[in-house]
Amino acid sequence: MKVNAAKLIPFLILLFVGQAWMQRSVIYPFWGKHYAPRTDSDLSSLSPDQMLFALAGFREMIAGLLWVRADAYFDEGNYDAILPMVRIVTMLDPKQLDVYATGMWHIAYNFTDESHRSDRRYISPALALGKEGASLNDYTYELWFETGWIWYHKIDDNYGQAVYYFEKANTYDYDTIYADLKAAGLSDAEADWRAQINGIPEARKNLLAPAHLRNGDVIAARDLYWSLLQRAEEKIKTKQGDLFVGSNNRDTIEGNFDNILVRMAQRGEFARLRGETDMTGYDVHPPFDVGFSVSVSVIDYKVLLVEGTWGVLPVGTRIRFILRDEDYQGAVPGGMVWDKGDEVSFTVNPNETFLQDQLFVRNQRFSRRVDLSRDVTMYPLTKQNYVMEFYYNPRSAPAHIQDKFGFNGEGMTDANFLNSEIREGQRVVFAQLKITKDMLLRTGDYRRGRKQAVVTTPNYDPTSYTGGSGEVIQVPGLRSDPPSP
Amino acid sequence: MSLAIETKKLTKTYRSRGGKGVDVVKDLDLQVERGEIFGFLGPNGAGKTTTIKILLGIIHETSGEAFVLEKEAGDIEAHKRLSYLPERPYYYEHMTGLEVMRFYASLFKINDDALCKSLLERVNLANDMNRPISEYSKGMQQRVGLAQSLLNDPELLFLDEPTGGLDPMAHKEVRDLILNFRDEGRTVFISSHELSEIELICDRVAIINKGIVIKQGHLNELLTGARIELVFRGLAPDKAKEIAGPDAVVSQSGNSTVIDMAAGNNTDAIIDKARAGGGSVVSVIPRRLRLEDLFVESVREHGGGLA
Amino acid sequence: MSIILSIARTTIGEAVRRRILLVILLIGILFLVIAPSLNMLTPRQETTVLKGLTLGVIQITSAVIALVLTVYMLPNEVERRTIYTILSKPVQRWQFLIGKYLGAVGALGLMIAMMTFTLLFVYAVMQSEDKPAGAIALFIVILISLVSLTNKLKERASGQVVIALMAGGLMATLYWIGMATGQLETFSDFGKTAAMFFIQMCLLAAVGVFFSTFASPVVNFFLSGGVYMIGSLFNTLFDAVAENADMSPFAKGAVQLLQSIIPNFQNFSVQNTTVNPNQFIRGEFYHYMNLAGYGVLYIAILLILGIIIFDRKEV
Repeated sequence: MKVNAAKLIPFLILLFVGQAWMQRSVIYPFWGKHYAPRTDSDLSSLSPDQMLFALAGFREMIAGLLWVRADAYFDEGNYDAILPMVRIVTMLDPKQLDVYATGMWHIAYNFTDESHRSDRRYISPALALGKEGASLNDYTYELWFETGWIWYHKIDDNYGQAVYYFEKANTYDYDTIYADLKAAGLSDAEADWRAQINGIPEARKNLLAPAHLRNGDVIAARDLYWSLLQRAEEKIKTKQGDLFVGSNNRDTIEGNFDNILVRMAQRGEFARLRGETDMTGYDVHPPFDVGFSVSVSVIDYKVLLVEGTWGVLPVGTRIRFILRDEDYQGAVPGGMVWDKGDEVSFTVNPNETFLQDQLFVRNQRFSRRVDLSRDVTMYPLTKQNYVMEFYYNPRSAPAHIQDKFGFNGEGMTDANFLNSEIREGQRVVFAQLKITKDMLLRTGDYRRGRKQAVVTTPNYDPTSYTGGSGEVIQVPGLRSDPPSP
Repeated sequence: MSLAIETKKLTKTYRSRGGKGVDVVKDLDLQVERGEIFGFLGPNGAGKTTTIKILLGIIHETSGEAFVLEKEAGDIEAHKRLSYLPERPYYYEHMTGLEVMRFYASLFKINDDALCKSLLERVNLANDMNRPISEYSKGMQQRVGLAQSLLNDPELLFLDEPTGGLDPMAHKEVRDLILNFRDEGRTVFISSHELSEIELICDRVAIINKGIVIKQGHLNELLTGARIELVFRGLAPDKAKEIAGPDAVVSQSGNSTVIDMAAGNNTDAIIDKARAGGGSVVSVIPRRLRLEDLFVESVREHGGGLA
Repeated sequence: MSIILSIARTTIGEAVRRRILLVILLIGILFLVIAPSLNMLTPRQETTVLKGLTLGVIQITSAVIALVLTVYMLPNEVERRTIYTILSKPVQRWQFLIGKYLGAVGALGLMIAMMTFTLLFVYAVMQSEDKPAGAIALFIVILISLVSLTNKLKERASGQVVIALMAGGLMATLYWIGMATGQLETFSDFGKTAAMFFIQMCLLAAVGVFFSTFASPVVNFFLSGGVYMIGSLFNTLFDAVAENADMSPFAKGAVQLLQSIIPNFQNFSVQNTTVNPNQFIRGEFYHYMNLAGYGVLYIAILLILGIIIFDRKEV
């Protein structure tokens, strides 16, 4: 007897609508969030067989193999090949954390010129990659932390961003994750294991405090150290975790906490909090005139000699030196708008020039040879006019110098180049000089030495060197005069 | 008495790609009574297998009606009471004879190992029931087929070439089995080319050619009264030929003259003429047709021939 | 129900003896066994690549088995005329079709289980730091004992009991190996992935059975294979289309419609969580249930359509 098709058809339609709804509304969004490869990048970089394998169920394997190859390319110095590969791997398997973390690091740190200066144009894509990885892997602290680290260590500016990302990373606390997983029904063992691998380690958690400091929020740093110390004490008391590790951690935090209290006292921070304005008697008073001056000479084709004075005798000063197009997109005094959005794009403008270097001060002077001639791709020098910026931020200074300069530059001054506007809430030293392409390339009027390609600050005096027998570390005087022989 | 099988103007048309239809079975009217052995005959391509498939619900008729055990063909209730042995039975090779029986029994929701074994014993396969079917001979496979056809104690059995490929001993065994079926009150519908066997065991037959039933009825009726043999003494053969007519076959047997002719109304007249011609009647014997003759004649009349 | 199960049992018995399927299965298992020999990578990538490779092998091998199993299923029955004997019994066509499908699915499940078991064992041996040779030897001893035990039991116990015992023995062996090597969590992840593969292949088998009701085996193979390929790529392609600003609304709508119609096999590729075990997905269990529900719905659609067609088919 034939089945009654007419009776089955409405049922079939119901089933069909049901599966379509399930697919579109329930399964696909979940799949897209947790299991999907990304499709917003160039698939054509994969060979056809790789594509077929990748999409036929082997994408994690292809991703793994490609990542190994990317590593090999890095060892060979073939950076051009690494970028598309990193993108493809993160596209194929967005859950391979290693690729995001190491890829970010490669891009931000290891694309360098002959003098080991990083190509700063790649910091923005590295940040975007980190943000993307963090949002796609929001079960772990790792990529939040890595992104914060790039802000904190590589960019060494806009510390508010470092604080933001480190705070995000810190929310992935072992106890929080463990409780969450237990509430989700996991066993003790599995919840413990996952909380351990996805929760932020104590040492990394502590990094938020210095980030607060660099961001100028001393109180937040102090309070964080205090709460970390109490936690560490509690863990030891209740015998949680390894005792040796816990004790070490507690001691480190205690040391940091002691230091910050001492520094706050000595630098007059408590006085400021009380509303006092007279800093007499505190280490930051009177402010020390750093006496910055600089001269930039083009000594050869695309080779600069940057010399100058900096009145701080103790070693540890690094002055940021930037040479960029005058009209560089996104430039800000002493840096750049590093975060250019969420879209990951490894395409940089080949016509833009941005160099960042550091001038190390020895014996109150700095002298550095900056050679742009061997890295034509990184420094195309296609524009006519350039600016050179000299930027010093006391928040990045080592402790012994900061003891004098204060947390926000209160103990620092400069007769000519002190600036309290370009960075909110702090005093920096900032100077800007202009230089032209003809000068850099020694063409036009500067060909064959017809004119000297030298640019200096108005206060530069090549004879003002006061000498000095050596490097001195003194707290908090920061003597400008050398000790008597 | 109700009919085991009945078809009324049963037609099955197959349409080819060109749109032309071929009537494989056309206006087939068949009646099979309960408790009889019915032979279903026809040359190759006549429509026998198609008819059986329709009766079993394996394919569907284009028009007309088909009833099996008073139910529409293909009715599941009817299938519980019938069984089928196909022409070349094929079983799942990985199974033993007993496993095959168990499988088919399960299709009737019968879970009776003893029954399976006893049926295999009945067809003389008791010693081989645990061997894989793939090791069975053709005859043994046929016997498994017969055994499985009895699992549900059917009222109606469809047997398609039940003795195909069997040796003479096996032929006899199968024939005896079929006769037993009838004695047990079952109806047996046999499709076969073995006309001699059909003639031995069937009660009624139908001959089909080009999808149409050309002959149907009791075998005795179909085969008897067709010819008559007249034996005379003292009648010259040429005289006998003259009296009997050109269609008669005249032969000499000793000093008797034998006239073999179609039975008809002029038998008395011929006897009178023969006596008037000096002959004396020795015997008058009505002769049965052989089924083969009936078959060939019927098919030829209908326009059939060698395939 | 007993008729359907009876047909299913017979189908399983036939399927596990089909040479071509056994050859494909053997190739898959062989690949799983030799996969760890690709040990030229760093430890972390080795695990990632190995897991991705082995799970991919299981998926592809299962897909080929599912296709080969189903495209010939009905045509073989018709060609060998076994179907006539069955349909002459009080068996509805839909019972026959469902029974054949369940049998195919049962055979598939057995084969996927065998491959998964091999994978788990290979993985455990690889991860085991001490005496892998001892583990292998012990495993072989246990396997031989299980097989001889089941052979002995075959005469005394029914098939289901034997299978249950065998499965129980294997599970116990796996559990012991997992505990001994500390890999129980990984085993569980592999098991979940294999379970999703199984549902995926059930869906593919349903596609094959559906097409076999009206298409020849060769045509069916390409049709079903094509549906599988498209269904495995669809989410990714759909994403690419949705993000392409140059696509017309009509084209996007057409793609959306296709995504709703074509069975989506890519949903069931959940091996990413096994390859990257660090990630914890909230609601994963419910997602698996949803996947199973989707699979059941679509399988029901295909089987019902297949029944309607098969019911009217001249065999």
